Amino acid sequence: MLLNRRNFLGWGLGTLAVSAPRLLGQEATASNGDEAQHVGCLVDTTLCIGCRKCEEACNRRNKLPHPDIAFTEQTVFRQERRPSAKAFTVVNEYTGAPSPDQEWMKETYAKVQCLHCLIPSCVSACIVGALTKTKDGAVVYNPDVCLGCRYCMVACPFQIPAYEYDVVLTPRVRKCEFCANFVKGTGADPACAAACPTEALVFGQRSSLLTLAKDRINRRPDRYVAHVYGEHEVGGTAWLYLTGRPATEVGLLAMPTFSPAHSTEAIQHGIFRYGIIPFAVYGALGGLMWYNHRRTQQSCKPDSESGQQVQEARHE
Amino acid sequence: MNKLQPQCTQKPFFTPGTTMLMVLAAIGFSFGLARILNGLGAVTNLDNFYPWGIWIAIDVASGVALAAGGFTTAAYIEIFGCHQFKPLLRPAILTAWLGYFMVAVGLTFDVGRYWNMWQPIINWQGNSVLFEVAMCVMAYLTVLTVEMAPPVLEGVKTWTPKRPALASVMRRAEKPIVFAYAWVKIVLPLFIVAGVVLSCMHQSSLGTLMVIAPTKLSPLWYTPLLPALFLLSAMMVGLPMVIMESLIAGKSFGHEPETELLGDFAKVIPWLISIYALCKFGDIAMRWEEISFAAHPDATVAWAIEIVLGLIAPFILFSLKSVRQSAGWLLTASLLVVLGVALNRINVYIIGYYPPFAGKRYFPALGEIALTVGLIATLMLIYRFFVTFFPIIASEVHAGTMSAEAQHAAHHDAVQPFWAWFFRGTAVVFLLGFVALYSLVHTEAIAVSLKASHEVQTAKISKGPKIETAAFKHADRPDAYRNLYVLNSPLLNKTNDYYEPVRFTHRTHDVNSGSTCSLCHHRQGSNMNDRVGDDIYKMHAEIDVRISGTPCIACHKDLTEKQFQKCSQCHLSSNESDFPARIGLKGAYHRQCIACHQNQPKTAHAPTDCVSCHHPLVPDHKPLLKIEANTQLSRQTVTGKCLGCHEETGHDILKTAHWNWQGRTPTISGQEHSTHIGLRNIIDNYDISLIPNPRLRDFFHIGDVRLASDWKDLTKIDCLVCHDTTATYRRDASEETIAWNNVAEKVGRPSRANCGSCHFYSGGGAGIKHGDLSPLLVNPDPDVDFHMGKVDMRCQDCHITSKHQIAGLSFNAPVVEGRIGCGVCHGEHPHGITGILSRHIDNHVKTVACETCHIPQFARKYPTQLSVDFSTAGQDRTDIPQQFGKPGYDKRYGEQTWGQNIVPLYRWFEGSRQNYLLGDKIAPDKTVVLNEPIGDKHNPKAQIYPFKVHRAVQPYDVEQKMLVAVKFEDCLWRDFDWNKAIAEGMKEMGRTFSGKHGFVKTEMYTSIHHEIAPARQSLGCADCHTPENIACTRCHTNAAGMNQPEHTQRVYPAFPNRFDFKALGYEGDPAVTGGRFYMFFKKGRPPK
Ligand code: SF4
Ligand code: SF4
Ligand code: SF4
Repeated sequence: MLLNRRNFLGWGLGTLAVSAPRLLGQEATASNGDEAQHVGCLVDTTLCIGCRKCEEACNRRNKLPHPDIAFTEQTVFRQERRPSAKAFTVVNEYTGAPSPDQEWMKETYAKVQCLHCLIPSCVSACIVGALTKTKDGAVVYNPDVCLGCRYCMVACPFQIPAYEYDVVLTPRVRKCEFCANFVKGTGADPACAAACPTEALVFGQRSSLLTLAKDRINRRPDRYVAHVYGEHEVGGTAWLYLTGRPATEVGLLAMPTFSPAHSTEAIQHGIFRYGIIPFAVYGALGGLMWYNHRRTQQSCKPDSESGQQVQEARHE
Repeated sequence: MNKLQPQCTQKPFFTPGTTMLMVLAAIGFSFGLARILNGLGAVTNLDNFYPWGIWIAIDVASGVALAAGGFTTAAYIEIFGCHQFKPLLRPAILTAWLGYFMVAVGLTFDVGRYWNMWQPIINWQGNSVLFEVAMCVMAYLTVLTVEMAPPVLEGVKTWTPKRPALASVMRRAEKPIVFAYAWVKIVLPLFIVAGVVLSCMHQSSLGTLMVIAPTKLSPLWYTPLLPALFLLSAMMVGLPMVIMESLIAGKSFGHEPETELLGDFAKVIPWLISIYALCKFGDIAMRWEEISFAAHPDATVAWAIEIVLGLIAPFILFSLKSVRQSAGWLLTASLLVVLGVALNRINVYIIGYYPPFAGKRYFPALGEIALTVGLIATLMLIYRFFVTFFPIIASEVHAGTMSAEAQHAAHHDAVQPFWAWFFRGTAVVFLLGFVALYSLVHTEAIAVSLKASHEVQTAKISKGPKIETAAFKHADRPDAYRNLYVLNSPLLNKTNDYYEPVRFTHRTHDVNSGSTCSLCHHRQGSNMNDRVGDDIYKMHAEIDVRISGTPCIACHKDLTEKQFQKCSQCHLSSNESDFPARIGLKGAYHRQCIACHQNQPKTAHAPTDCVSCHHPLVPDHKPLLKIEANTQLSRQTVTGKCLGCHEETGHDILKTAHWNWQGRTPTISGQEHSTHIGLRNIIDNYDISLIPNPRLRDFFHIGDVRLASDWKDLTKIDCLVCHDTTATYRRDASEETIAWNNVAEKVGRPSRANCGSCHFYSGGGAGIKHGDLSPLLVNPDPDVDFHMGKVDMRCQDCHITSKHQIAGLSFNAPVVEGRIGCGVCHGEHPHGITGILSRHIDNHVKTVACETCHIPQFARKYPTQLSVDFSTAGQDRTDIPQQFGKPGYDKRYGEQTWGQNIVPLYRWFEGSRQNYLLGDKIAPDKTVVLNEPIGDKHNPKAQIYPFKVHRAVQPYDVEQKMLVAVKFEDCLWRDFDWNKAIAEGMKEMGRTFSGKHGFVKTEMYTSIHHEIAPARQSLGCADCHTPENIACTRCHTNAAGMNQPEHTQRVYPAFPNRFDFKALGYEGDPAVTGGRFYMFFKKGRPPK
């Protein structure tokens, strides 16, 4: 790198100035080119009857511990539950009919699990890549490299990953992995969707599920809210929800249409792209130090060693 | 000239203060140990909502921020050339080094898998802010170590141990130390700059960390500018931190505070504060719209404190010259900045963090606080250790003593220029390498962006299971339609099935829906191969017929001519990748069923929960039982295991008739409200009574009751007799022959074999008592019992069970726990509403029980006992031949007769009976009827029922004129002394015996309910009515839906006059003379 100092700095700062707006923009979106391959699951809350079969199926498939309260028990609905290390999915009950044309029903039920974001914040956050997004869109976890920093839990906007706080040596982050098998790569094959008696859960290609959801909305405008939750939320999620009442009434959070990971990634890559900024700062500071030392050296007699020679060595 | 030079403080290490710190550290680390041994959950208040607590907010975030003194001072002095402050550099570097040490230790306790802490070194994840922080912190710790090296090496070099051994070690180490010192001194400037750059990187990244949580972090703090704010605040806090520390250290070591120097040093601070404040306020102004101060009052308070006390107040103070000249005020102002920045970090990481759905707010647990305090105490101890033993803190050098630095300058001068360049080269390679690595990680991260650094094999959409339509059939597709279909879903069978398939009673639903086939069959096929069919609504609209409200049968007289679409023809597997819009069979069924059932009134008895339609499959109990290796279970321990989870069920069992052998007897006339009658005290024709005969009693009871107290003892219950599925368990088998573990692991729902293990043997042997129950029913031919043979119904499918109370009615065991009837499945119009003839047959149901026609004969394949003569017992006779393979004489019981294929006796029965109870007087010259059914033609509740009648000659008490209990086992059967056996038996029943016995004829009824024949074999009209009177089909041509066009004929020509109408109270054949159709339905012929 035989640039002289001015060139070096100029080049670095110039590049930075040119690239900054772009870096803070849409950096991360470009990455999801094969979105068409993504699988998904459509939850139709107007069809859910709160039977908790999905919970049971999930429990068995993932070999989760036996729950204290049986899966046939409806009393669990008394409080709003969240996915935990012992239950990757839970169904919650909300007062009121699921949709305007089902007035005979008194409650709405909504299943919660990881939404398998298209741009998952948890994956972006994970320090070692323990959480990854497979090509078909399932967000899976590899406990072998995880160090348990729990940043993924901070990052997930939906409050999904749970932690085994009680495990002493090998606690894991637990969440729905779309029933994908990390080790064998056997592919998403959700037990919950298979178990749902009313097929309120439909599993398939995300794109076709979107079509299906919109089709249902078009056919039954009286029943559905004209919004597929998850189509755009945090940049899109693999799990989609169709509701007959505003999504926020059934435990789905209002979300921005961009992924939080966009912001952090833009900052990260903006600052560290090719190491330009660190290099530039190093050069600038080194130069200043050299200059100041030379000044002191000239004013009094040389008293200390300094980095000036080194700087010269690097830049000349 | 007095010059400030770094020196070892000449103070003792151990003081009351340090002891105090040691205690705090010890407490803290004992909590740390507890966290290592018991896990995070045991020591912290962290949960899924608050994954980060004060160990991150204080130990890490604030720790890093407050360690900023290191890089700011270094930059101030070395880079910006303010060399006059050099005395402050070493303590600042030491503090920074210690701060990062605290970060590392704190993190070790905080991360869940501390043993995996090295993973980021090889698993790069360039998108992760945390990865950047981790790498940077590691690098900076290295840099700080280099920066710390000079004082440490100086300290070591000048150490002159008194012990000779150590002294010799020191002598030998001198050369390497000198070498290392020279290296460090030469490359130090390079590292100082690197340290500043690295600090800027991760100080800002600590802010970026929370940028990923826009929806959780309160808008008071959330801004994309967080990294800038964090960096600026770190720069701002660095110098005050150094000031604070040297003032405190000076005080603690008794130095005069260097107020003048520090005051000068502090001049720049207001500028730094104002830069930060400008950014902060500018940011807030820009986001003013988003900010709501009312949303979280506690956050607002914390925010206000941070701004006013941590930012505005110190700005004012540091700007004042008077403050900068007073040690006390300097300390106050510095403290405010330090605490303000620490509060800012806590705010961003904890107080401003509002995760959705969180129930309660996080507050640190005792352990978290203690460890944090302990860590800080440790830092102070280490600080004191270093300043005590190494030349860190500057103090005035007395003339004549050469300063350590001056000493070592000499060493430096000794280094050859070649080596100096070599040293610099190594450092440059190191630093360049690091930066190159960094760029690489990030470039790679940009390339793959959000993808994994670790590629996972691609998951595929599972193809819909390939469905063999041929194998997937309803139970016997009918010509027209049948009553029962097994609704099954191939998808469920393939994956996770929790229930047995539903047995769907088509005809009942047909009747209940008013024959509106289109409710379910919304498509109609033109032929068997038509996979799609026509939409019947559309089709009918085209031909101008409205189908809603009109039974299909109104037009489609004969359903056989129409091919309705099987549900499975369209709805097969769900989640089909080519066509997800098509719901699967499972969804189609459930939506259809639930849509109707949830709207049914309670009175309709339409089931609304899962288990009313299909039985849950019992999960594999092997993992649940958790039988320790090498333990051998026994009956007692198995029951214990069961009760471990199903204790409630145990209490339920103690309330059942199967356990108590007594209970409510609403069907015994005169005893409707009694609760004391039951198998415990009833007298019958077969075993006479069970209680005095322990082996019989034990065989038939569902537990081990030997003592009076056992009747209340849960642990005596025998769960396995009903729940064994291996068919290897028997009540009378000896304990050693049973593979207990295997049996226990495979428990399941009772099968016919389980119920049959007692009920098929009632009366003391196979088929003896009931006539309609025999071991054949374990696996019967459909001809023997259609329900069990054809559609494999279990006993409890009809004998509906709730809390182990089993519905049903027995003529012998009189306790009733619920009633059952055919109507539950077959509805009110069991013969269909598809024609007048069906209706005519349905009318019979009010008078004739279903069993009467549908069980034309009982004991069809297995003989049953018809009579026994106890008076002949005790002889050794071989003269009586076997009947149907059964002995005609048994020494224990006497002469016996047997029958097979028996036509029942028909009697009116209204649901209750006269029952002989022990103690009732008898007329010895007449036949005693033990349980005579009550009812007659005029009783509208009564129906004609089929019965088996069993006749016996049994002992009675001649004096007291009553029937008696007999002790057979080990008594009568030993010496056939009736008087003794009766006396013993009566004693066990709490009764007395006069000592004189005689024999009396008795009769016992058993109602016939099982061995339902296939419809084709049920009685035809002519089987009861005289043929010349019933040319019904002359007019009633329409018999759609009936599978028995020939049913008007006589099905059993061998049994003329099956009904004795006179005995039933009629003058003659009611079809001729008129019967209850007229009485109750006001139609038909009036009685003559
Ligand atoms: S919902 Fe949360 S855990 Fe699931 S992929 Fe999105 S960010 Fe990750
Ligand atoms: S806890 Fe594990 S999975 Fe979560 S971010 Fe940290 S290393 Fe990744
Ligand atoms: S996809 Fe699998 S892991 Fe996720 S909720 Fe469904 S069953 Fe559970």
